[in-house]
Amino acid sequence: MTSAPAAQRQEQRLPQTRGSRKSRKAAWFFVAPAFAFYAAFVLVPLAMSFYYSFLRWDGIGQARFHGITNYVTVLTDPKLLQIIGNAFQLVGYFTVIPVVLGLAVASVIRGHMAGPFGTATRTILFLPQVIPLVAAGIAWSWMFANTGVVNQGLRAIGLSDWARGWLGDFVWALPAVGIIGAWVLLGLCTILLVTGITKIDPSLYEAARLDGARPWHEFIYITLPGLRQEIAVCVTLTVISALASFDIVYIATQGGPGITTMVPGLEIYRLAFAHRQVGLASALAIVLMILVLISIAPIQWFAREKK
Amino acid sequence: MAGLTIRSVRKNYGPVPVIKGVDLDIAHGEFVVFVGPSGCGKSTLLRMIAGLEDITEGTIAIGDRVVNDVEPRDRGVAMVFQSYALYPHMSVYDNVGFGLKLAGTPKDVRDAKIREAARVLQMEHLLDRKPAQLSGGQRQRVAIGRAIVRQPDVLLFDEPLSNLDAALRGDMRMELARLHKDLDATMIYVTHDQVEAMTLADKIVVLDGGVVQQVGTPLELYNKPANLFVAGFIGAPNMNLVAGTVDAINAGELTIALGATKVRVAIEGATSLKAGDAVTLGVRPHALTADASGPLKGIVQLIEQLGNETVVRVKLAEGEEITAVLPGQSGHAVGAPITLAFDPASAHLFGTDQLRVG
Repeated sequence: MTSAPAAQRQEQRLPQTRGSRKSRKAAWFFVAPAFAFYAAFVLVPLAMSFYYSFLRWDGIGQARFHGITNYVTVLTDPKLLQIIGNAFQLVGYFTVIPVVLGLAVASVIRGHMAGPFGTATRTILFLPQVIPLVAAGIAWSWMFANTGVVNQGLRAIGLSDWARGWLGDFVWALPAVGIIGAWVLLGLCTILLVTGITKIDPSLYEAARLDGARPWHEFIYITLPGLRQEIAVCVTLTVISALASFDIVYIATQGGPGITTMVPGLEIYRLAFAHRQVGLASALAIVLMILVLISIAPIQWFAREKK
Repeated sequence: MAGLTIRSVRKNYGPVPVIKGVDLDIAHGEFVVFVGPSGCGKSTLLRMIAGLEDITEGTIAIGDRVVNDVEPRDRGVAMVFQSYALYPHMSVYDNVGFGLKLAGTPKDVRDAKIREAARVLQMEHLLDRKPAQLSGGQRQRVAIGRAIVRQPDVLLFDEPLSNLDAALRGDMRMELARLHKDLDATMIYVTHDQVEAMTLADKIVVLDGGVVQQVGTPLELYNKPANLFVAGFIGAPNMNLVAGTVDAINAGELTIALGATKVRVAIEGATSLKAGDAVTLGVRPHALTADASGPLKGIVQLIEQLGNETVVRVKLAEGEEITAVLPGQSGHAVGAPITLAFDPASAHLFGTDQLRVG
């Protein structure tokens, strides 16, 4: 009898038939429209950005080859380095808070998923996801303002000394922007994690209870490993949101005060369209893309199906 | 190890009663099988013993300790689940040792116990594998290993063989019987498969509609079913049940009229039945023989040749259909007439209250 893997190996050795070549052509034919769009709107702009990153160009006039000067500037200019650092600080807020809170919510409502409590919780937590980012940014700008609800609350509980214009404060502006991002992304993470937790066989929790597990053990030994893929998706999406953030920062602070909340996405826009340094903006964009890829590579490795 | 006492236990899901008052005594070291059709409450009762379901009313005691409000981890029970419930990201070694790890068992002691359980279940070569790399039978062994390694007072099995194919089920049945003998453990086993129940159990508890129908040894249930439900449920093929009336009463014997056909049935002791009372006659298919002088005449409807025996479906002259299991390879043909007989002592009689007579 031939075992299944042996059969697969045998199949791989078979010479290509006319039929298989034909089906490959058909496959390319079906992929072609999507690939054309992908090439036109992703691959070509990426290649153009890469090309521009070696130029000194104001976007209108004559471009001059500039070597790797733009990259040297990106990697040595203290201001640009701080801007990149700001993005990584935002990862702490955009990623950690939604994933941790999402896990907590998923664990709490696991047993009540089908009931009204579960439905209400999921709906409420997903709401920020359907609110446009611009609207969320404006709403939070009001809430963080001197007379906003945050300061009203602090004054109401006797913490008037803590009240401040959060988005205008050199120390607190970046955390405040981080809180806005965390609020926006919490719904997405919660939905992903709540959906993921329903896939975990409930008998695993029962077996663990009989094995002597307490709720904390159940979380560590069953929930976390069971949600590995979903956690990886959440972390990937939120890390990208943080590193490539633009709209929330643009609406809430425009990068200020100073450059305390400036992020690469906004700086690229500013360099390209306000300062007319298209080459430097492109170099920053390429560096940002590489940083995003480097950041999410270990997450993807962590999430892979271990055979 | 310890015995188990269940007293007036009830379970309601909202207004719906699922377990309607169960009383049961299980001795230390006994292998007890809960059997019944789907939805009869057998798994619910098992889960109440495990502590995975709350008890609405009544008490469950393991040994001398009432465990109604005791957490599952502190009850001294272990359970083998129908779905195996193996932790997918852990190796077999870690799965088996998980409970010991949580209990803070020293690593060397833990290692020794895991390897001993693996030896008993002949799965030493599987210890480094993940559950996804195991067959159904191997997973079941791991699940059993995880249950026995902590040496619980009571081992619970919730339809553990139902996901296995017939051949593997047979092998695992024998392994479980061997394990019970080796461990001298109190085991409670839930199944809807009466073959498993008959072959494994010291004592069978037949449940239907959340009520215990009969408790007894496999042969007690087979030979003296307490009511129509047990009579129809225990034994394969099912017992033939034919409605009739009492025609005459003699010492130790009744004559039952099945339409125009009259059959004799032996009964033990006195009976309150009188001529004209409606009864149900029960005859096991294996108790029927092809005998030209027999009282049951009919036409063969269906024949199943099993090699060592032949299952014959017969339509009686009165319109009822019965099944006979005849020894060897019968030469009967579909559509041909057949006459069947049975030993009056092998027949069962049930009154209108569905309870056994005699």
